[in-house]
Amino acid sequence: MYKKSLYSLVLRIFIKKPEFGAFTGLFFTIVFFSLSSNKFFTINSITAMFTLAAELGIVALGMSFLMISGEFDLSVGSVFALSTLIFVKLANFGILPPMAFLLTLVICTFVGVLNGIITVKFHIPSFITTLGTLMLWRGVLLYITGGFTVSYQADKDFLFLLGGRIFAGLRMTGVWFLLLTFVLSFVLIKTQYGNWVFAVGGNLNAARASGVNVEKVKIMNFALCSLFASISGTCNLARYVMSQPMLGTGMELEGIAASVIGGNLLTGGFGSIFGTFLGALLMGIIRTGLISIGVAPYLYKAFTGIILIVAVIINTTVGKRTK
Amino acid sequence: MINTSNEPVVKMIGICKKFGAIQALKEVDFILNKNEIVGLVGDNGAGKSTLIKILAGIYPPDKGDMYIDGKKVNWRMPLQARAEGIETVYQDLALINLMSISRVFFLGKELIKNHYFRILDKKKMDLESIKSLHMLGIELPNPSEIVGNLSGGQKQSVALARSIYFGAKLLILDEPTASLSIKESQKVLNIIKEIKKKGVSVIFITHNIYHVYSVADRFTILERGEKIIDIEKKYATPEDIMKIISTGKAESSNN
Repeated sequence: MYKKSLYSLVLRIFIKKPEFGAFTGLFFTIVFFSLSSNKFFTINSITAMFTLAAELGIVALGMSFLMISGEFDLSVGSVFALSTLIFVKLANFGILPPMAFLLTLVICTFVGVLNGIITVKFHIPSFITTLGTLMLWRGVLLYITGGFTVSYQADKDFLFLLGGRIFAGLRMTGVWFLLLTFVLSFVLIKTQYGNWVFAVGGNLNAARASGVNVEKVKIMNFALCSLFASISGTCNLARYVMSQPMLGTGMELEGIAASVIGGNLLTGGFGSIFGTFLGALLMGIIRTGLISIGVAPYLYKAFTGIILIVAVIINTTVGKRTK
Repeated sequence: MINTSNEPVVKMIGICKKFGAIQALKEVDFILNKNEIVGLVGDNGAGKSTLIKILAGIYPPDKGDMYIDGKKVNWRMPLQARAEGIETVYQDLALINLMSISRVFFLGKELIKNHYFRILDKKKMDLESIKSLHMLGIELPNPSEIVGNLSGGQKQSVALARSIYFGAKLLILDEPTASLSIKESQKVLNIIKEIKKKGVSVIFITHNIYHVYSVADRFTILERGEKIIDIEKKYATPEDIMKIISTGKAESSNN
């Protein structure tokens, strides 16, 4: 009571608001960079940071949703790249860009369904399933392209919707990131499906005993995770107007990092989509902030690593308290 | 849901069950009357859990008949038993520690306010869960509290209240007081008495004779797969029951 009261108060805040840690981290990071450099807190810089965070962020949103239901997906980086190639190939073939875009999303969603079915039906850890599909799709990409970049040669008007520049450093990608955060957060917190997602990750057997179709929830979340990776991939395509076969390498780990920094438990059952939003933002800010204060950008990974470890320590403490 | 005839809620006749070479149940008869609490007691391996698993539809019996409210049943899966209002509350509770009370309370049967988007009626869920806990004499003021922060007895209470809310007419309680402190056990026993007042029948499985003795109307004692006695509370003291269990013989009672 007496000595432990501050500690348990903080713990209670974390249990109620998983994004509290990311919020605090973000606040101090912004204060630090603003004091260190007068180039940091400008409209150009802020909008550019937001755009930079958005592509990783959209991937991390899908990852978090899947993680809350107790699984995760290492193949998002490969699916991210795969979506750019599918889109480019379809559009270059002559299919109208909006149709090509929709087809790309549908195909990538099925890629996610495949991850889900393999994991759920054969009782394989998703770590292994998606490590396998990570290599599979990357291999397919390299095989099809021969390792070369494929440029987009169809009509570019539609691409504005995905990644066009709106003003200063802000691109449409940022708008989608914000919108998808709201939609997914709403589904997770306010709907029946969201309740099932928490339950499946929190205690699989209890969820099943209560009549939740746990297999269906997991497969749908794998599909959603791949869908989000492909939305992000097509936004990237809109920015570079080409598909690079090694695009998105390592993105799975950055996505998991953003999600964990945002307060999502690796073991499932607990987390926040808004937290993931803040986590991705924090990573984007560190990346650009380090450049603006003149520190070597290579240190970005080192800083992210430290923040990740701190976040996991906090999450584990919260998780232990309630498991 | 609750029957109005005089038929027993459960009548099991000549139930036999073998697992490989082991005869888990041998010609066991079991009766549970309307609005009755029966203590199903016996030593480890007596066949208590096999019997209730058959009743809950988890295994079919090898031989024997089962009647629910006088109607013959032949269950192939637990869902069929649950559809008849038979709910089992297990020792390792089917609750989720990382979720709030009201979310867990309504899990799988959430209250919805918009059918198209299946939006949760959170307010009503909060209100109803607290209200139904209150009706069993359980005071938990905050429906948003995480289940993991509740004590063992409070968790047990939530699980019980949930079964009652969703229309259970027969509750099977598997060692409901096993991991609880003395104070908490007392609270859970009081809740069981409240549940009886609502017209629900209860099968109470336990090793703790004193706990079951304070709430049960009758005891069914199993020993190595056979029923050795069915005895009403007024004919036996807790000591008599323990003696029957430890000797495996029914003669020692005054009955």
